[in-house]
Amino acid sequence: MRDRMWVAYAFMLPVFVVMAVIVLYPLALSIWSSFTDLSRANQATVFRPGSEQFIGLDNYATILTSEEFRGRLGWTTIWTAVNVFFHFTIGMGLALLLNQKFRGRTAYRLVLMLPWAVPAFVSAVAWRYIFNGEYGALNLMLASFGIDGPNWLSDQFWAYVAPIVVNVWLGVPFMMVALLGGMQSIPQELYEAARVDGATRRQTFWNVTVPQLRSVSVAIILLGIIWTFNLFVVIFLTTGGGPGGRTDILVTESFNLFQAGQLAQAATYSVVILSILLIFVAVYQRAFRTEDVAR
Amino acid sequence: MTRSTMRLVLPLGMTLALALAACTPAASTPADTDAPSDSEAAAPSADATAACEGVDSLTFTHTMNDQESPVIAEIAEAFEGTTVEVTQIPFDGAQQAYDQQAAGGEAPDVFRAEIAWIADYADKGYLVDLAGMIPSEEWDDYLAGPLAYGQWQGGTYAVPQVTDALALLYNKRLFEEAGVEVPATMDDFVAAGETLQADTDVENAFYMRGDAYWLQPFLWAFGGGLFEADAEGQVSELLVNNEGSVAGLEFLLNDVLGTIAPAEVDFPNDYNNAMTGFKEGQVAMIFNGPWSTADVLSGTEFSDPENLGIAVIPAGPDGAKGSPIGGHSYVAYAGMDEAKQACAVEFIRYLSSAENQGRLATELNLLPTRQSAYELPDVQENRLIAEFGTVIENATARPVVPEGGAIYTDFGPNFQAAWTGDKEPQQALDDVAAAWTTLLGDRLAQ
Repeated sequence: MRDRMWVAYAFMLPVFVVMAVIVLYPLALSIWSSFTDLSRANQATVFRPGSEQFIGLDNYATILTSEEFRGRLGWTTIWTAVNVFFHFTIGMGLALLLNQKFRGRTAYRLVLMLPWAVPAFVSAVAWRYIFNGEYGALNLMLASFGIDGPNWLSDQFWAYVAPIVVNVWLGVPFMMVALLGGMQSIPQELYEAARVDGATRRQTFWNVTVPQLRSVSVAIILLGIIWTFNLFVVIFLTTGGGPGGRTDILVTESFNLFQAGQLAQAATYSVVILSILLIFVAVYQRAFRTEDVAR
Repeated sequence: MTRSTMRLVLPLGMTLALALAACTPAASTPADTDAPSDSEAAAPSADATAACEGVDSLTFTHTMNDQESPVIAEIAEAFEGTTVEVTQIPFDGAQQAYDQQAAGGEAPDVFRAEIAWIADYADKGYLVDLAGMIPSEEWDDYLAGPLAYGQWQGGTYAVPQVTDALALLYNKRLFEEAGVEVPATMDDFVAAGETLQADTDVENAFYMRGDAYWLQPFLWAFGGGLFEADAEGQVSELLVNNEGSVAGLEFLLNDVLGTIAPAEVDFPNDYNNAMTGFKEGQVAMIFNGPWSTADVLSGTEFSDPENLGIAVIPAGPDGAKGSPIGGHSYVAYAGMDEAKQACAVEFIRYLSSAENQGRLATELNLLPTRQSAYELPDVQENRLIAEFGTVIENATARPVVPEGGAIYTDFGPNFQAAWTGDKEPQQALDDVAAAWTTLLGDRLAQ
């Protein structure tokens, strides 16, 4: 048998080569760039060789000790936590509703999945119009009740809330569909047994549904956190990071630096983001795996 | 449940309707096909055919807006030398996009670059030095100001297409109703605004954007500025955080915002909101450039184009005034072989002919960069061009350094921080100066 293992490796080779070219090489390049002073002013072009220099950990020192970075990391963490919390809880609530049998269930499912079906940038731009402080649909509606709505996208407080609202709206369908799938694969016998034992609906939810959804929840919360942490479009297309750069998350700041031509610092930001996520994933998986073993 | 879905659908529907409404004026502009027919007979076509012998096609990328795009595409595609593939890209991000493409050898053959990008591209060797490729009498026809933006370290890398500057655009009907004169000084400006708010039904006489480019007139009016650079691109002094600049910013924050302009605006939507308010007569004055006039005149308030007033931005307490001279120029990519370069230069000469500049002027109210274009009868009859000409004469040339296009990256957020009260004006401008010190590096004299 072992003699024929090479066949398996041969079949895997093309995938490995493609991965190396489109994932590993750029990754290595950006890690390398983060140790240099590479910028658009000194990068190699077809007209001249590059003149960037190795500067060790200077970029990391500059970024990690800056107040802006700490502020952004804090906001990125809040952004991620609040979003995933609402994605999960609202998604769970809707999944529970849709798991009942009632007329027109398919139609409701379709409508609730709509935000997921529309490309995220289209939704983000539409929401930017809705939130427009002077001519937006939201403030026009508020005005008809005599309420003077704020500038949602550039107010010191609401500029944090508005993109979260947009992203909660965008992210709920995924959680809802995943949880609904999880609920439908729970064996009906468990619910029947619970009923025989005289469990209330609440008890059934906490003692049957929730534990049975555990593995799917662990997976989708992890995915949700990674996606939200790095979610570029919503911030970029609603507040644009404003006012005054307050609502930039780490990944939009990395893009800003790239646009400003500071390629090495942009690369440093992305390596920092990657490191944070890797550490988080390692801790998260360990936390849930040990519990699994203990059970 | 049904009601909650309705609530979601309703704003989306309204947004769509708004988007459609916004599109309508754009669609109506290209209908002017029977405009000046003499412009067809443009350019040195015999030269073009000879120079483009053996060149299959040229690629031309521009950043003109949706009203302008059909006109430039029609002009470019009528080039007789060879086939031209025209691409419109959004202005935002175009500077970086061309930079990356040119560095990788993949840039479009001819590109319409904003004037602040040219020195940077030239410094990196991306551009063909056009100085010797175009006859000197043709160069002499160009206005000195716009031409200077394309010159770097002894070479001339760009042919100016249009020039522009921010002007005070005002609604004449509202001015008459309130009985106010066009303000000459910043104090008059505030006084006029207060009268307009008292005597007409405008809620805000003026609308300010949270964009550093729009802040510049205030800095210059109070004796401030950006920075001082010589012809070699050496920067002798930063002006952005001097006493005058701080006074200008403080004047804006204390005397304009919340008095005659909204104290808070929606920054991501501020350009469109300023335009909408002005077009519908809810705002009596805005700052904007000639590129916006086609859009302004599509507004209900300006169905009679004579209602649009164009004036120089008011002067500060010591008579100083300023408005950033901007504009766009054609550049040719140095990565082309020589035969193609010759063809590309002919194409640029064709695009820049007095007739074609005249066509952009008459159809789109864009300011020509050649003296001969201003002498064309159609251009002379255009009131908007003439009035913007006065604005340009009183405007301020920006310093030419390769970093000129990157200075707004830190300028904008700091201006917004000062506006929202996150930073004191002095602190915000000091932070801009600190960012520029890093950006300019060795260019800044220590």
